[in-house]
Amino acid sequence: MDPYYLVLTTITLAAIYGLLALGISIIWSSLGMINLAQGFTFSVAGYGAWLVAQNISANGFAVVAGGVITGALAGALIGGIAFIPLYDKPNFPLRSLVATLGISLFGGQCLLWIFGPRVKALPKIFGVGNVHFGPAVASYDKLGSIVCSVVLLIVTLAWMKTSRRGLEIRAMMQNPEGAALVGVGLRSTAMSVMMVTGAMAGLASVLLSQNYFIRPDAGVTPLVKGMVVALAGGLGSVAGALIAAVLIGFIEAVTAVTLGGQYVLITQFLFIILVLLVRPRGIAGMIEHTRE
Amino acid sequence: MTDVLRIENLSAGYGPLGVLHSVNLRVQAGERVGIIGLNGHGKSTLMKAVAGLTGWQSGSIKLNGTEIGGTRSQGPGRYTHKIVRMGLALMPQGDALFHGLTVADHLDSGAYTRRAWRERKARREYVLGIFPPLEKLLAQPVGKLSGGERRMVSLARGLMGDAKLLLIDEPSLGLAPKISKGVIEALMQIDIRDGAMVIAEQNLSLLEGKVSRLIGLHAGKLKGGSVAPDVPLIESVHHHEPAPRH
Repeated sequence: MDPYYLVLTTITLAAIYGLLALGISIIWSSLGMINLAQGFTFSVAGYGAWLVAQNISANGFAVVAGGVITGALAGALIGGIAFIPLYDKPNFPLRSLVATLGISLFGGQCLLWIFGPRVKALPKIFGVGNVHFGPAVASYDKLGSIVCSVVLLIVTLAWMKTSRRGLEIRAMMQNPEGAALVGVGLRSTAMSVMMVTGAMAGLASVLLSQNYFIRPDAGVTPLVKGMVVALAGGLGSVAGALIAAVLIGFIEAVTAVTLGGQYVLITQFLFIILVLLVRPRGIAGMIEHTRE
Repeated sequence: MTDVLRIENLSAGYGPLGVLHSVNLRVQAGERVGIIGLNGHGKSTLMKAVAGLTGWQSGSIKLNGTEIGGTRSQGPGRYTHKIVRMGLALMPQGDALFHGLTVADHLDSGAYTRRAWRERKARREYVLGIFPPLEKLLAQPVGKLSGGERRMVSLARGLMGDAKLLLIDEPSLGLAPKISKGVIEALMQIDIRDGAMVIAEQNLSLLEGKVSRLIGLHAGKLKGGSVAPDVPLIESVHHHEPAPRH
């Protein structure tokens, strides 16, 4: 087993799953909604990027921008359907869960209807080739994915830490009533959360499509993995999601190398079951104060 | 003088439960008003109704002459941010703080309205002058502070904005007597200019002699006090016991 390959694969997967899990985690803690349609956002963003590559330009920036913008729009659509009309009604968590599940199923069928069952491939936006670091070999794909996701993660976290919009999201994550009492509009903040997390899912989609095909149900596995990472990290915790993303990525890389790729989901779920048995609130559930 | 707050015929409650029954109250610019009542008699509901946080309400509430009340049967908190942007600051019971955020973040969040956000550095200095102990705690997450410190953060956050009407719900709750006196002193220091302040309290002795008016709140009705500054009589329509004295 090549240790460099393992580390590199771990980091690549961690970066991509981190983007999805962070989105799920932030949506849960600020909106109180478990977004099962995050996988739909992922699929739609893949098709958005594909359309841009087919019709406008196959340039890397254009393709990434296409995916990110489509993701943000899909996020806004989900927010408009599952959050805005429902959030002040009784039993909101359950209603929104069902609503996002509905969007996910309905949206998946729409994609199948519009684009057909044949898989699509995105152009290789990072080019084909390898970079050598001493004994380690990294493909352009992996390096590009790592750099893009890390940059987006850092920009998003810094924006949340320093800007007025970011402060309103953090305030809403901690205490929605307190946020309303300082003048934060829950609906407009919710829409910006949905767009930012949608953009993250969109980028994850473009990056993962460098190695996988775009299909109408392409979002299902990433949704499950993003959910696993978010749960294992402690829903609502940014630090926890990042730690869990690294662990889950590592488990996936090790399993794929030692047992074979078909056992990845088994080892990942065993891991999350163990984590939740020992720490029911996730890895960072006790470090950070989040929504119960 | 204009009325900063004018409440007419306000009833409010949660679900099937009616808490306030036809309350009338006027507060003018420059006034500090104390509302005295026991637990469960509607002090917090009165303040929440002004902020639009009750389950349902009916009747008129005017903030600086603009109607913010009306009849509403659902959607608690839906319009709270708009009322806050119009000049309301509610420092609620339990403080509604953000436990993972630092004291500095709280002060910034209090200056959330666009104008206040630009002036937030100067406002922070002003608020730290009223609550000097917060200066050293600025980088601390609020979840690690003591009850008295949290109360100060909650009050300081409320003072960062442009609020014309300050509603303060039980500032002494859960605090040692000495600390609650300090908190009340700090509240009396605040320059309310053309605004007004309403303080809800159980402990009459903390406010006696310090506020412009004291009103009793009993079983969801205002009793034993003047409901407007130009109505000086002790209004007690029914023969209820006077406001409780501790």
